[in-house]
Amino acid sequence: MASLASSRAGTGEDTPKLEILKDALYEEMIQHGDQERLYNQSDLMGLNVIPKNDLSLLLNVIQGLTADQLVVAVSDSRAGIAWRYRSREDAKKYSSLPDTETQMVFALIDEAGADGIWSKTLRNRTKLHDAVLKSVLKTLEGKGYIKDMKSVEHPNKKMYIKAGLSPSERATGGPWYTDSNLDEAFIVGLEEVIYNFVKMKSTYSRPTKQPTKGVVGRKRTANDISTDADGTPTPAPVAQGPAGGRKLPAYLPYPAGYTYYPTAREIAEFIARSGITNNTTLSEDDVQQLVDILVYDGLIEPVVVARRKGYRTTRITKQEPDVPQQDGMEEEEKRLGAEPPTNGYVEAPCGRCPVYELCEEGGPVNPSGCVYFQRWLGHD
Amino acid sequence: MNVTKSLAELCPLLIDEIYGELPSRIYSTLITRGRSTLSQLRHYTALTERQLRHGLAVLIQQNLLYFHTDSDTRTTTYEANSRPAYNLVRTGKILEMIETSYGPAVKDVMQSLFILGQTRIEDLKAAYKVRIRQQDEVAGATEDDIMFDGAEVAPAANKPTLPVPSIAKLNNILCRLVETGLVEVVHVQTFASPEDIFSDVSDRVMRNKFPGGVKGAKGKLEFDEAVAMELRKIRRESTTLKRKLEESGSAAKRRKLLNGAGVNSEHEPEGDPVLDPRQVIRVNYDKCVVELRNRRLVDFAADRIGTHISYVYGTVLKLLSKHIPRCHDDPLMDVGEMRDEDTRPRVVTTNEILNSLPTAVDVSQGVAKVSKNRIDIYSATAVRPNPPATDPVSAILNGNNEEDGGSDDDSDYEGPNGHPAADDSAAVDGDGGVRFAETTHKENRVDMLRQHLYLLAESELNFIRHCGEEQWTVDFKPLIQHLKEAELDVVIEHTVGRQGLRLVRILRKRGKLEEKSLPTIALMKKPDVQTKMLEMQTAGFVDVQEVPRDPSRTANRTIFLWYTATDRCISQLLERTYTTMLRCLQRLHAERRKEKDVLLLTKRTDVKGREQEVMAEGYYQRFAAHLEAEKKLLGQVMRLDELVAVLRDY
Repeated sequence: MASLASSRAGTGEDTPKLEILKDALYEEMIQHGDQERLYNQSDLMGLNVIPKNDLSLLLNVIQGLTADQLVVAVSDSRAGIAWRYRSREDAKKYSSLPDTETQMVFALIDEAGADGIWSKTLRNRTKLHDAVLKSVLKTLEGKGYIKDMKSVEHPNKKMYIKAGLSPSERATGGPWYTDSNLDEAFIVGLEEVIYNFVKMKSTYSRPTKQPTKGVVGRKRTANDISTDADGTPTPAPVAQGPAGGRKLPAYLPYPAGYTYYPTAREIAEFIARSGITNNTTLSEDDVQQLVDILVYDGLIEPVVVARRKGYRTTRITKQEPDVPQQDGMEEEEKRLGAEPPTNGYVEAPCGRCPVYELCEEGGPVNPSGCVYFQRWLGHD
Repeated sequence: MNVTKSLAELCPLLIDEIYGELPSRIYSTLITRGRSTLSQLRHYTALTERQLRHGLAVLIQQNLLYFHTDSDTRTTTYEANSRPAYNLVRTGKILEMIETSYGPAVKDVMQSLFILGQTRIEDLKAAYKVRIRQQDEVAGATEDDIMFDGAEVAPAANKPTLPVPSIAKLNNILCRLVETGLVEVVHVQTFASPEDIFSDVSDRVMRNKFPGGVKGAKGKLEFDEAVAMELRKIRRESTTLKRKLEESGSAAKRRKLLNGAGVNSEHEPEGDPVLDPRQVIRVNYDKCVVELRNRRLVDFAADRIGTHISYVYGTVLKLLSKHIPRCHDDPLMDVGEMRDEDTRPRVVTTNEILNSLPTAVDVSQGVAKVSKNRIDIYSATAVRPNPPATDPVSAILNGNNEEDGGSDDDSDYEGPNGHPAADDSAAVDGDGGVRFAETTHKENRVDMLRQHLYLLAESELNFIRHCGEEQWTVDFKPLIQHLKEAELDVVIEHTVGRQGLRLVRILRKRGKLEEKSLPTIALMKKPDVQTKMLEMQTAGFVDVQEVPRDPSRTANRTIFLWYTATDRCISQLLERTYTTMLRCLQRLHAERRKEKDVLLLTKRTDVKGREQEVMAEGYYQRFAAHLEAEKKLLGQVMRLDELVAVLRDY
């Protein structure tokens, strides 16, 4: 190193020797790990740079390095006091800072890494006065060492991050956030893609042109027979109404043990191939998250076949056949999947009555004069 | 059964609807005041003793009361029995179910039994004799279709053809009804309330078997068992007739003969033992509910998997429920190892199903056909000898590692030869709907039937369980729990939307969750989640638990845990359903009050039956509109009853 003589460090008599040792130790530390690695005292001795295991010499060397900002002391709960090195460029940045306050603040921001640090945390840790802190931050920003950032977890907090780092996934919220806002349109769109993919892969779509005559005929006999001897419990929904009037299901389930239900991995691959997410790459975990949402929504269900967790559409035979997309339908809320089932409670006016709790015969709200019943009974 | 406010209001309304005001008033007093003596009743209702006795007689005739005569004081106390009172609403549904599965003749007999409440076989026969004679007299009447629409009064003499043409036929029908358990014997203890019976029995057991008192845990257990045995003995009283019929043997043989001839033919089967004419019988609601439950489950399967498969499921349920006398085990009686033979879980074999499956059900329909190399036969046919864990805690614990849970089940799984890897070429077939390439042999019926059964077993809901080679059973308890949750989810979805339902499902699966973790899992905006959760808390679907991190209990030092209590939601929904039924009936009364003048007019004998010709145009319009509204309201009550049945009875 050319600047040996000009080094500011080194207080002992044999400065040149110290400088050589410093350089050697620093180089050895770089050789043995990256900036995250912590070296405690015995580690440093183990580097075989300090002759004769001279502790006081090591102390001097480390002190010199620290003063040069090339080594940082950290206290680690497991290893006790330890050190890690810092790259020369960073060290130069530190050395170029005017005062210790600025150095301290920069050190904290540096330490926070990709997660960034909240300005209030900075103030609490450094115990600096507001005005001082502000000017320090301004200096740092002016030098282009730090920049401010936004975190999705705390959208209202003013955060700082070292310039040159991009905020971590925790701070950006992963692929679901655009400009730290949850991108709901993106999510809904992807859900639809996934749902349709699963539906295509997990159901057998009946050819639309299939002549239904024979099937209808057979069905009718099923009805006849079901009222026959020995009390066959009738499949109620079909028993009533003429058989011809019923729509045949557009989709059919696959037999049990079907091994081609798409897995989360296959769905992820499909999405990656299709290039819908042009500048975001979704990991399998991200896709799994979306798939889980669809499961929670009751649209698809997991099926474990041969230790392979695939997904299939629920209520397959209730699915409406695919209608060619109509552009005019966009404004109304589109929903995936079959029509949700209903029951007697939600159909009755009381099931959705906003004043349900108040209603009582003889009270101010009562069934006899209920406007919802009025409308429901078609008396308007 | 717990009687809540709305149920206590609902039952008298139902009684009023069918039996008029007097019984309804007495019943209402009994249900609100608790058990009372005659003099107390007189005091409460301000009715005369004559009126009271009259009303009580009606109520007892219809099995709506319990009574108890104290052996010392010779006074009788009466107590409202809410279950049969509620069941009045279900009458139409039961009759419809009987008709579709047993034919119109059986339905006619059931209907008579419903109207009579309880009757001696002798009296029932006499009633039918009269009708048959009248029928003979008016032979040659017009050929109209017989109308069977719900709770109409028994077919009067002017019906052109009687569904029950002879007394022998009636006897045959009664035998069948008794055999299936749909009709039971009324005995001495029928009108004693369960509490009375229990205290009676435990007193007796205490006196006879434990004169020195019950000592220790073991003694307590023995005592409980002895009591349970006595209680079971009493319960079995109502099936005496059934067992007698079974003992007289040849039940199956007679059944076979019947099938051969067809129920609707004029053939009169020989060999049915004539039932003891003095025996008193009534409809057994418990058994009816079992059959209604089958229908509901078939619908459920049709909704989730497909209509064709639900036919097969219906057959499985029918076979299994032959030996199920009631939906719920009695916590007092059905305990320990010594339970009734009848209450043990049953299995059916594939062959039994095949033999009972109506021939017209086409098992080739309903399931897609794919080439064999796309099917993992080991997973599909995996045998699961143990019922799934019903314990919610362990379910949650297992929920996170489903793969592990699954591997327990198919531990005998061995991968099929070169399974997924070799199939790249097959995948080119597009959507996988590969048809059997020039099917060389026609798949036989039993194989296709198995396909249906496997698919039912594969479902997340476990409609059936493959409990042994070619053996199938249904775990009703978890299945009904799924059904209840499904109904609850319908209500949640309609109340707070799909996103609300998503949040509830997440909580149901994961247990308690901190407020902050919800938006990440549900992929929803934080404020949206908060609004939704508050909305649902107001609706009672979720609740929050506050765990302070330090004693100061400030909001920012507190963890907020959201959770959903499914059972509580279900009981709340049940209560709301009662209330909704009540409101519908109250509205019906209001409607009737509003159209009082029109309705009075239609009661006149010269108007009745000829409303359209006789009444003025405006009046008739109002009458028609009223009938429409009445139909709608009563229909809604029926649909609500379906929900009550799922939430409470199944």
